[in-house]
Amino acid sequence: MKPVLLIAINFAREQRWPMLTLLLWVLLLAFLGLVTDIHRQREDLLFVFKLDAVYVSAFSIFFGGSAIYNERRSRRILTVLSKAVGRQQYLSGLVLGVTLACAIYCFALGLTGSWTLGEAGFPISHVWFLMVCLVSACALAGTVALMFSTFLNPFFAAGATAIVLGLPALAGQIVGPQWGYVIPVWELGATVVNSSFSSPGTASWFPVALAAVETLAFWLLSARIFAYVDIAVAVE
Amino acid sequence: MPVVLEFDNVTKEYRSFASKRRLRALDGFSLTVEAGEIFGFLGPNGAGKSTAIHLAMGFMRPTSGSGRLLGERFGHPGTRRRVGFLAESVALYHRRAERLVRFYGALNGMGGTQLENRARQVLEIVGLQDHANRNAGKFSRGMLQRVGLAQAIVNDPDLLILDEPTSALDPLSRVMVRELLLGARNAGKTVFLSSHLLSEVELICDRVAVLHRGRLARLGRTADLLRAGEQTEIVVRSVPVTHFEGAMARDGIVSFSVPAHTQRAALEKVWNLGGEVVSVNPLRRSLEQIFLEVTADPQSAASKGVR
Repeated sequence: MKPVLLIAINFAREQRWPMLTLLLWVLLLAFLGLVTDIHRQREDLLFVFKLDAVYVSAFSIFFGGSAIYNERRSRRILTVLSKAVGRQQYLSGLVLGVTLACAIYCFALGLTGSWTLGEAGFPISHVWFLMVCLVSACALAGTVALMFSTFLNPFFAAGATAIVLGLPALAGQIVGPQWGYVIPVWELGATVVNSSFSSPGTASWFPVALAAVETLAFWLLSARIFAYVDIAVAVE
Repeated sequence: MPVVLEFDNVTKEYRSFASKRRLRALDGFSLTVEAGEIFGFLGPNGAGKSTAIHLAMGFMRPTSGSGRLLGERFGHPGTRRRVGFLAESVALYHRRAERLVRFYGALNGMGGTQLENRARQVLEIVGLQDHANRNAGKFSRGMLQRVGLAQAIVNDPDLLILDEPTSALDPLSRVMVRELLLGARNAGKTVFLSSHLLSEVELICDRVAVLHRGRLARLGRTADLLRAGEQTEIVVRSVPVTHFEGAMARDGIVSFSVPAHTQRAALEKVWNLGGEVVSVNPLRRSLEQIFLEVTADPQSAASKGVR
């Protein structure tokens, strides 16, 4: 477990610049909370809050899809995997790292959201429920992207992830809503995006639990694929 | 001596996904490295050296054949706890040097004050004690290679696998690495060293293998390989240069080489001509000569087999 934690923390640390850039949006929400009339501008604040939530979802795919590629291209992966670290542990570290990076962001967004939206009348407990939805959606999206990145470059990995996450959402719209839960990233995102002051939504834990189970499944699948991949990049 | 590294008829092919072309980097490669030796692994660029090392470290899987590292199949994570590895063109995270070494030590299961002390110790060994708190991202290539070496030895490994460990180092640092490797051997450790610096390999390696086009072209004890040829160089004075085939004259000194078994006859000829013998030395070949011989002949590996 120790190597997994070390790799995860190291990954989150390596993403500090994109993370700080992302956190500027949270700062914008906090700034708006300070300078505007929270009660009159509450719809605008909720819009920025949702916007911030969408950004982190996209970034989770970016984090997951580029993690292995960046490590391989820089050859840093060689030094890490030359230690007593199994490939499954390495991949677990990355999954945890992606989740950790997104969780830090969601925590900051949750804090700011509790203050600004809570002040405007949005239930604070629901803000945190939405953050849990967001973190589980990010973990799943990041793991799917990571799975594709074990054998595709980041561009194709992101494309493949978008298709895999988008198809159930499309089926949910066309065939029936139950299809949206096949891979519930969209459903979890929709929970955040569709919430409003008049109808914050109900706290359904089913998609969260489903996302956790599927994250585990995709992580196992990634580990299986990654075990067979040649990680030394340079063909002499 | 127990075998610490073993390749058994290993073939590795790289396949291009788009063009379906295949590149055979290793072709039926077999080799054993024994405990307690410094083993030199030589070959021109593209010979398959790094591929062999990456297979041993479990970074890739052989297309066919198998191998064992410290008694376990290639790729066994637990075994790597006893291995120190330095990759060619080492790339490390941008952290303070001491933190970095501690990070890699922790990945090997080390921790606490033992790791802290060891990290400081290895940074001192590689001469970076004054830079322990500097960010490795700001290091020169040579310094980075030294941090790389520090992380490789932080776990006090039984087997050191080093891919071009001195390519970016200045002469002073090379001496430091040489002493480090000799010290490791004296402590009973094994060193598997891939290098293009043949003079260095010649100095410290007990055995040498030359890889060419994915095949083992030469293998043997360094001393035996260098002795091969059995020629003697004779340096004389006051003898006309024309009396000896291939002789060269400079400032009245004539030097020539003869097969060792004709040395006596050549010396008698010098004395009969009224000459004076300055020196007689068995002529040693250099690893460079052997390397050039092997790599100049495209069929060497295939036709001569392993010698």
